[in-house]
Amino acid sequence: MTATMDRPSTPSTGSGYVTVASRARDWAASSPDVVAMRDKDFGIWQEKTWGQLWEDVLDAAHALLDTGVSVGDVVSIHSEDRPEWIILDLATVAIRGITTGLYPTNPMAEVVYLVNDSGAAVHLAEDQEQVDKLLDAEADAFPSVKKILYVEPRGVRNYDDDRLEFWDAFMERGRAHRAANEGAVEALMGQADAEDVMTLVYTSGTTGPPKGAMLTNANADFAIEKIVRAPNRTADGMAPGPQDQVLTYLPLCHVAERIFSTWTMVGTGCVLNFAESIETVQVNLREVQPTLFFAVPRIWEKIHATVLIKMADATRFKKLIGAGAMRLATFIGRERVNNGGLHTLKSRIAYAIGDPLVFRALKERIGLRRCRWAGSGAAAIAPEVLEFFMGLGIPVYELYGMTENAAVATLNFHGRVKLGTVGEPYPDIGLRLDEETGEIQTKHDGVFKGYWKKPQATADTFTEDGWLKTGDVGEWVDGTHLKIIDRIKHIIITSGGKNISPSEIENSLKASPYVKEAMVIGDGRKYITALIGIENDTVGNWALRREITYTTYRDLSEKPEVIALIQDIVNQTNEKFSRVEGIKKFRMIPKELDHEDGELTATQKIKRSAMADMFSDLVEDMY
Amino acid sequence: MRGRPNLFASYAAEQGILPTTTKKVSAVLLVIAAITIPLEVLPVLSQFSQPSWLVLLNRSLIFLIAALGLNILVGLAGQVSLGHAFFMGVGAYTAAVLGGTGAGLWSLGLPIWVWLPLSGIIPALLGILIAPTAVRVRGLYLAIVTLGLVFIGEHIFRNANSIAGAPEVGREWPRLELRIWKEENPLIDFASDGNWFGVSLPGEAKTFYFLLVMAIVFVFLAKNLGRTRIGRSFAAIRDRDVAAEIMGVGEFRAKTQAFAISSFYAGVSGALFGVVVGRLIPETWNLFLSVQFVAIVLIGGAGTVAGTVLGSFFVVLMPRMVENVTRFLGDQAIDGGVLSIVGDFVVSIDGDFGLISLSAQGPGLSIFQLNQVIYGLLIAVFLISEPLGLFGIWIRIRNYWKGWPFTY
Repeated sequence: MTATMDRPSTPSTGSGYVTVASRARDWAASSPDVVAMRDKDFGIWQEKTWGQLWEDVLDAAHALLDTGVSVGDVVSIHSEDRPEWIILDLATVAIRGITTGLYPTNPMAEVVYLVNDSGAAVHLAEDQEQVDKLLDAEADAFPSVKKILYVEPRGVRNYDDDRLEFWDAFMERGRAHRAANEGAVEALMGQADAEDVMTLVYTSGTTGPPKGAMLTNANADFAIEKIVRAPNRTADGMAPGPQDQVLTYLPLCHVAERIFSTWTMVGTGCVLNFAESIETVQVNLREVQPTLFFAVPRIWEKIHATVLIKMADATRFKKLIGAGAMRLATFIGRERVNNGGLHTLKSRIAYAIGDPLVFRALKERIGLRRCRWAGSGAAAIAPEVLEFFMGLGIPVYELYGMTENAAVATLNFHGRVKLGTVGEPYPDIGLRLDEETGEIQTKHDGVFKGYWKKPQATADTFTEDGWLKTGDVGEWVDGTHLKIIDRIKHIIITSGGKNISPSEIENSLKASPYVKEAMVIGDGRKYITALIGIENDTVGNWALRREITYTTYRDLSEKPEVIALIQDIVNQTNEKFSRVEGIKKFRMIPKELDHEDGELTATQKIKRSAMADMFSDLVEDMY
Repeated sequence: MRGRPNLFASYAAEQGILPTTTKKVSAVLLVIAAITIPLEVLPVLSQFSQPSWLVLLNRSLIFLIAALGLNILVGLAGQVSLGHAFFMGVGAYTAAVLGGTGAGLWSLGLPIWVWLPLSGIIPALLGILIAPTAVRVRGLYLAIVTLGLVFIGEHIFRNANSIAGAPEVGREWPRLELRIWKEENPLIDFASDGNWFGVSLPGEAKTFYFLLVMAIVFVFLAKNLGRTRIGRSFAAIRDRDVAAEIMGVGEFRAKTQAFAISSFYAGVSGALFGVVVGRLIPETWNLFLSVQFVAIVLIGGAGTVAGTVLGSFFVVLMPRMVENVTRFLGDQAIDGGVLSIVGDFVVSIDGDFGLISLSAQGPGLSIFQLNQVIYGLLIAVFLISEPLGLFGIWIRIRNYWKGWPFTY
C-alpha cells in the first residue's frame, strides 16, 4: 500500500502544465484500486476507485470532443453535488475547456442569464426540474448550447428536443469516440497552459448581475499548494492524504466547496463522500464521520443549535450530565481560546474527564468524532460558536478568502488561533490593508485573471499598482491576525455621522440559536434598527415546550412571547456594543427568506437593497 | 468501513448477520462459553456441568429450535398458531417410526441422517396442507383452527398405538447416535457416557454438544431467513397482507412458506425432544406444550431471534430457579439468619403457615403450582408492559446508551 501514499508529482512536466485533471490521472496511475469517491444510492455508499473515475473522465472528455467542444469553450453544470459533476468538471479541464457551475436553486431568469453570459457549449441539467428551467425559456434563448445533458431521466425521457441527451448515451458516445481517437484527450492535456482558464466562478451578485471570475490552472495550483497543503493546518499535524474522508454537500459551483472537495481530492488523494442532499447532511455526517470538514457559519450554527435543543429535550439524568459537560466544555473552550487554540494543562485534565463521558459520544452523534480539521468561512461566524466546538475538542478554524483570489488570503493556523479574527496570511503571499479605507488587498499567483467578458469590471477590481481590491474592510489584531470589519459598501453612516459595521451586530444576534436572519438598518437615519427572522425549528421547539400554539411561520413570529424572546436577545447584543450601535427598534420578518423570492443570493446572503424594498413598510414603521 | 459503523459500501455489509465487530466478538465468546460448560473450565459456569443442569440446558436447546419455528410463523409472518405441538408430535413420531427399534411397534431402525431430516420434512408437508386455512381465516379464528389441530393430533396419537405406544406409557425411541446404516456399533454415540478426545464426558454432555451444534445451525438459518426475499415477504404479509399483495408479494405463497418452514423447525425439535428425553407419552403433544412456545416467543420478544433464544432458556430454566430460590428461603427459615422471617413467612415447613410448601402435601402452593402462577403472571406482565419481551428490555437499555448524551 505504500505506493498509494505517494503524491503525484506537482511540478509541471514536459507533458503540459499540471491541472486538476492531470492530478487525477496521476492518482489513477499510482493507485488505481483505491477508493476515490462514494455516492449514496439506494441506501448504500457506492464506491468508485481512482481507476474507474479516470476511465469515466476520459470517456466524458472524448464525448465532449465528439460534441464539438474545443479549447476555451464553456461547459456549464447545473446540478446538486454528485459524481457526474466532478467527472464532467475534470473532463472539461482535460480538454482545456472551462467549467462553470450553477446553483441548483437558481431560478429560471438567472439560469438564462448565466448560460448566455458564459456562452456554454454543453449544459448539464441534473433532472427534470433543471431541464425545465432551460426548455421553458424562449426557443432560441441559448444559441450557444449544443447539448443539454441530463442525469436523472425521470420525466425527461419523453421530452422532444434534439439537444437533450441522457448521460449514459453521452458516455457511450464518448467510448466510441475514444476507440476511434485514442490519445486525443491526452494530447490536449499535454498542451495545457498555466494561463488556461479552467473555471468560471460566478459571484453571488448581492448587487447587480453575477460576474464570472476566471480562474486559471495556475490559480488552482496555487490554491492547492497554499490552502489544501498548508503546513500545520490539521490538529495532529499530519498532512491531508488518501486516508482522509471529506463530505461533499455545499454547492460545487462555489469556490470554497470546489477547493475543499475537488481540489482537495486531486491534491491529496482523499475520499469524497457525496451527501444525499442538504437535508440529510446531519445523517450523512454521522455515517461518513469525515476527517476534513468545511462548513459555512450557517451549518455550524445549526449543529450548535441542534446540540443545545437535544440536550434540553433529554431525560433528567442525561440532562444533568449534559449540563455538567457543557460547563466543562465552556471552561475548556475558554482556556483554549486564550492559548491560541491549544490545550493548557487545566483544559487537558478537564478534557480527559469530559471526553470519555460525554464529548466522544456527542461528537459521534454529530458526525465529527474523527474530524481533525474543520473550517468555517464564506461569512463571519460568532466567536461563541467556535468556542463551543473548541471546548468539545473539534478544532474549527476560521479562514478568509474570496473567489477573485482563489480563496487564498488568511487562515487560523493550528496553535495560533485568535478568535474573532480570520487568521494570518498564508506564508509568502501579498496581503495589505489600504491606508485610507482599510480595505484588504491581495497580490499573489492565486489572483484571478479577470471577469469573463467584463474588462471594465475587471479593471475596477484592481488598484493602480495591480493589487486585488477585495471590497472588505479589515484591521490587524496584534499585528499578525486579520479581523474583518465588513464589506465596504455595507458600512452604515448614521445621520449623526457615525460609522457602524452592521455585520458585527448581525452576527452577534445570529449567535443565538433562535435567530436565523438579521439585517441591521440605519444608513442616513437617526438610530439603528433591525429586521429579524426567527429560526423555525428552534423557536418552534421553544414554543412547544411553553405550550404556545401556533400555525405558520408568520404566526409564530408575531407571538408576543416570541417577540419578548427576541427582545431579550437584542438587549443582550446591545450590551456588547456602544450606545450609538445599539438597536433601538426591531421588527420580525414575516416569512422565511428564500433565494427564489429574490431576498437571498444562492449562497444565502441577504440582498440588502431587495430586502429594503420588500419590507419597506416594516422599515419605515420603525422611524 | 473501519471505525465508521454506519457507512455501508455494500448490501452484504449492511445486512450482515453480525454486522459489527462487537457483535461478532460477543457471539464467538458466547459459543466458547457454551462449549466450556461441561468441561468445568470457568468457575462461574461450572455448576451447570452437573447432569441435572445439563438435562435442563438440553431441553432449552430443543425448545429453542421449536420456538425459532414458531417465531418465524408468529413473529415474522404474523400468523397466530396454537398448533405447534401437533407438528412437533408429527416430527417426533416420524423419527420414532423411522429410527425406532421397539418390538410390536412400527419401527424401521434407520440411522439418524435418514430420520432427522424426514422428521422435519413430513411436518413441513403437513404444514403446506394447513396453510390454505390461514389464507381464509385470520387472527383469533386462525388460532382456533390451529387449536383444533392439537386436539385432532392428541386423539390420533392416543389411538395409533403401533406408532405412539400405549396411552400413558409411550414407546421406545431411537437412540441419539450416528451410524452409516444398520451396523452393530455406532460411529458416534451422543447418548452414553464415554471419552471424547481423551476427556471423559457424561452422556448428557455429549448430547449437549450435539444439540448445541443443531441449535447454532438453526439460529443461523432463522437469522438468515429474515434478510432473504422470503423473510421480507413474511414481514410484508405480517404488516398488512392486502398491502403486501399490491406490492407483488403473494399472500398464499408466503403463508404456505411460513407454515412449511415453521413446521419443519417444530418437527425436528419434536424428534429431538422424543429422542433425548425418551419415554414420552402420546399426551405430551397437547395444548399446554403449544402455549409454552407462544409464551417463549412473547416473553423473549416476537419477531427477534435473540429474543427467542433468551425466552427459551428463560422459560425452561425458570422453574428450576424458582425451586432453588424457594429452597434457599426454606433453609434460611430453619437457620434463623437475616432472611429467616421472610423465609418463614413465604415457605411452609412441616405444615406451619406459609404460602409455598416444599413437600407436595403441604398447606400452601406446591413449587409446581407456584411455577404455573409465575408463568401466567409473566406472560400477562410482558404483554402489558413490555410487548417486545426480554429483547425489548435489552433494546431499551441499548438505545439509552446509543443515544447518549441525547435522548433521540
